[in-house]
Amino acid sequence: MADAAEPPDVRLARVSKSYGTVAAVRELSLEIPRGVFFSLLGPSGCGKTTTLRLIAGFEHPDAGEVYIRRARVTGVPPYRRDFSMVFQSYALFPHLTVAENVAFGLRMRRRPKGERGRSISEALALVKLAGFEARYPRELSGGQQQRVALARAIVVRPAVLLLDEPLGALDKLLREEMQVELRHLQQELGITAVFVTHDQEEALTLSDQIAVMRNGVIEQLGPPRAVYERPETEFVASFLGASNLLAGRVTDGSRGSKVVVEVAGYRSSVSGTNGAGEAVRVAVRPERLRLGLAGEPGVAATVREIVYRGAATHVYLESAGGPLLAYLQNTGGAGQSVRPGDRVTCSWEDEAAVLLRA
Amino acid sequence: MPARSLQSLGWALALPPVLFLLAFFVGPLLYLLYVSFHGASTSDLYNAELTLANYAAIAGDPFYLRVLLRTLETAAAIMGLCLAVGYPVAMLVAKLPRRRREIASILLLLPLMVSNVVRAYGWVAILGRRGLVNIALGKVGLIDAPLALLYTPAAVVLGLATILLPYMVISIANTLASLDRRYEEAAQALGAGPIRTFLHVTLPLSSPGVASGLLLVFLLTLSAYVTVTLLGGPPSKLLVSLVYDNVVSFQWPRAAALAFVLLAVALVVSALILAVLRPGRVRGRGR
Repeated sequence: MADAAEPPDVRLARVSKSYGTVAAVRELSLEIPRGVFFSLLGPSGCGKTTTLRLIAGFEHPDAGEVYIRRARVTGVPPYRRDFSMVFQSYALFPHLTVAENVAFGLRMRRRPKGERGRSISEALALVKLAGFEARYPRELSGGQQQRVALARAIVVRPAVLLLDEPLGALDKLLREEMQVELRHLQQELGITAVFVTHDQEEALTLSDQIAVMRNGVIEQLGPPRAVYERPETEFVASFLGASNLLAGRVTDGSRGSKVVVEVAGYRSSVSGTNGAGEAVRVAVRPERLRLGLAGEPGVAATVREIVYRGAATHVYLESAGGPLLAYLQNTGGAGQSVRPGDRVTCSWEDEAAVLLRA
Repeated sequence: MPARSLQSLGWALALPPVLFLLAFFVGPLLYLLYVSFHGASTSDLYNAELTLANYAAIAGDPFYLRVLLRTLETAAAIMGLCLAVGYPVAMLVAKLPRRRREIASILLLLPLMVSNVVRAYGWVAILGRRGLVNIALGKVGLIDAPLALLYTPAAVVLGLATILLPYMVISIANTLASLDRRYEEAAQALGAGPIRTFLHVTLPLSSPGVASGLLLVFLLTLSAYVTVTLLGGPPSKLLVSLVYDNVVSFQWPRAAALAFVLLAVALVVSALILAVLRPGRVRGRGR
């Protein structure tokens, strides 16, 4: 991680970009310190790809400034910026061999021939493709092409590595394997990475920092655990994994940083500063929902459906406030013995409940 | 419909054109080849004896070799001119949005609707002894006597290049327009400026369009007759002119042999263009 004197590898300062009347990115600011794996996560059209292309210089902001390391690069063409990029379609040059593809950036940077050869071998070894030098992209599988694209990008040792949904075209198994390798590679090289994805699991697996984007702004920024466990908005709570969104009311607002919230008669003490009597929204993750017998403290609900998912059992419930979802871990032993139609109560530990911003 | 009967339907549909080609192209071609191995006859198409005399005469006569060389030079000049002028135009056309690109293609094809004879006479009016250019230069006082512009190889090159240019432009523009923009972005991301992106990525990736453009221009140049005759005159005869001359002087077997020399030239040069540009490598096969 960066020490205080070092500038962030990437900095956006109140950057805006519109296409016609559609605002793709709105006054977006962010700083990415050295060595951080930073994910831009959001649904399509949220502005994550535009943000990446603004850093690359393929798009130029209508307002705001872009910095890479110490250089202000706003208005600087892509080929004069210190970055490299992996595209979703890989964009390997079809008329060049694997070695020539990897050599491309080194040639453009006019590195001497001997050094080039060494760097290419190193990069290909890193992505486990030594021996593939003379192949053409068409002769490789999707996963292998992906590795070549990665080797081509890291071989130039850029200040920042931009990744535009690079794993999107791979099948599930390969994608998970590549996630691990990508993360390993990024940490080994200590390279700063900006990763665009709409896949929340991928973002959680890979990132040091996640910026959840929506409508051209960052809804929440933080490490995966914070973003997942303490979502600030309804959008973040439901986009990143599943969430039970509950309507409640603050009954006691005078406990410092905690307030007491009542949801369908069930009270919990939650972080917040809202005043008494205020209507609020509370998010509880399905895996944090506990099921109890009818009559125990909690939100009364009826079991509607039970889906066995291997590691967990998903229990769909109906309460007066709307549908609820609980994940019960299948830890063996007696197991959960709820059946559809059962009347139960849903409760949670205080720290499992999160007050959402309106 | 089951796959099998669908397949036989395909064969049934393909049969008439295949038969047509066999009857009216492959058959006559083979017959022509047969004719080319005979001597001329005063009463028939050819005489009975088999001979290599026609090919021997063509190979041994410096006149034919000179014309063959001139044909290749003229074609090379036309291809070069079309490529040099056509590529930049194709780049502009390819950058247009789809609808405008289609309109541009139609505009490019518009000149082809004017007969080559009319266009050739247009050039005569411009390049002739009392044509536009000579009158203008004379008026300005740059020349005392009219320049011999017409009936030169240059006139043929100019005339044919303007006719064939659209083929080159459209063929390159189509390839450029279908190129994934990510290739250029990838090059830029790796530090290549516009010129090096063009040289190392765009140009090689457009080789299929360049190759098909060159092939079209070359083959159409080889078979051009009207423009060559009207603008080149007797001093700038090309291979096709010789075929015609032999036909009208009833040297049918010699004409047939020349036709096959022409065909051989077409095949060899086409193979050369493909071997040098290797359009297949863009599909990643590396050939």
